[in-house]
Amino acid sequence: MASLCKVMRNVSSRSSLLQKHCVCITHRSLYSSDASGGDDKSPERAKGGFAAAYELHSDLQQRGDQSAARRMSSRDETSFASLLRHSALMQMGPAKEKVVIGKIFHIVNDDLYIDFGGKFHCVCKRPPTDGQKYQRGSRVRLRLEDMELTSRFLGATIDTTLLEADATLMGLIESKDTKTKE
Amino acid sequence: MCSGNMAAGVLSGVRQVLRGPRLLSAVFSCHGQTFSSAAAAVKSAPDTAVTEKILNFPLTQPDYFHLSELFTMKDLFEARVHLGHKKGCRHRLMEPYLFGSRLDTDIIDLEQTAELLQQALNFTAHVAYRGGIILFVSRRRQFGHLIETTARECGEYAHTRYWKGGLLTNAPIQYSPGVRLPDLIIFFSTLNNVFQQHVGIRDAAKMNIPTVGIVDSNCNPSLIAYPVPGNDDTPVAMEMYCRLFKMTINRAKDKRRQMELLKGISASV
Repeated sequence: MASLCKVMRNVSSRSSLLQKHCVCITHRSLYSSDASGGDDKSPERAKGGFAAAYELHSDLQQRGDQSAARRMSSRDETSFASLLRHSALMQMGPAKEKVVIGKIFHIVNDDLYIDFGGKFHCVCKRPPTDGQKYQRGSRVRLRLEDMELTSRFLGATIDTTLLEADATLMGLIESKDTKTKE
Repeated sequence: MCSGNMAAGVLSGVRQVLRGPRLLSAVFSCHGQTFSSAAAAVKSAPDTAVTEKILNFPLTQPDYFHLSELFTMKDLFEARVHLGHKKGCRHRLMEPYLFGSRLDTDIIDLEQTAELLQQALNFTAHVAYRGGIILFVSRRRQFGHLIETTARECGEYAHTRYWKGGLLTNAPIQYSPGVRLPDLIIFFSTLNNVFQQHVGIRDAAKMNIPTVGIVDSNCNPSLIAYPVPGNDDTPVAMEMYCRLFKMTINRAKDKRRQMELLKGISASV
């Protein structure tokens, strides 16, 4: 049954990427999970993107909304194809203009190295406002541009890669006041 | 006995797989052509039989060290092992190992990776069980320290700096005439800092040293004996590989020590 049933995300704009039928039970649980994850974004479209971004970060998997995903994947018997299909990376779609949460894992003077759950990290300049609040381990909001900066130069057979992602820093997550840690 | 082992090391220029184990009594089973015959007469027959059993019995089992319980598909997935480079960076010979490409990013097939990783870990365990020298190699500066600490924790060796030309091929001159080369080289990243294939892969193939290598979607898997297609750029993935290899090697060495103790107990009885 698991192989036949497919899950549709509640965001209609992304249905072009995954045209699937919805399973009632899992759909209801996902609805509740997305609703709990996207409290501070009013439109339904952004809630989907925000919820997807939540799942991208591995630390946030402690939250209750991930238990629904775990139940779902255990039903699919954790084959690679099903793990991939239900992963946040697939649900996200193109990386352009997507908002994700990242964590700073290294700092060199004014450069912040931020990991947001993709293959590469991104490097952003420390912003002038609230500069000292950006320390190792802080969670920040990013607007992704590209998952990997590559380009084919003239005369080259393969692309040259910078081994970095491209994102714009939007701001800190005020984690202590609004959200409770688990 | 000691000199016999060393002489054997110097004589054969071409290395065989799993040659020269650290335990002296095992020389007989590994070396077909060179018998330290002076000492052969001294060793008693039942002792040799038990030693041969210790060495040969693990080779008859498919998963003697139970390495399949070390990792699951989900662990690989959560460590982002399936993420490859962009389509434009793809190496043609990696295409059989790719699941597909999503919005220009290559996705590595974890079903194949799990199998190949199992084989690579099994081979590493058998080499460590028989007392082989294992060398970890990577030119990624981001993970150099991690790999060196991993090597130290499992009692093996690491080379994460600039690779001088004749390290393996010219070893008797660059080091000393009786130097022993590694029995297995594990590449945590097969590319060097200018995205060319690491010289060590070609040199190990020249010296008949088997290699295990983590190959990303922009690497060439041809000369590597046990390629493991996977992500080699993310810290989570590298930490997972280091942890897996360390656990494998420690497990194999502990098993060997256990077998030796049992042999010692049964011999004294």
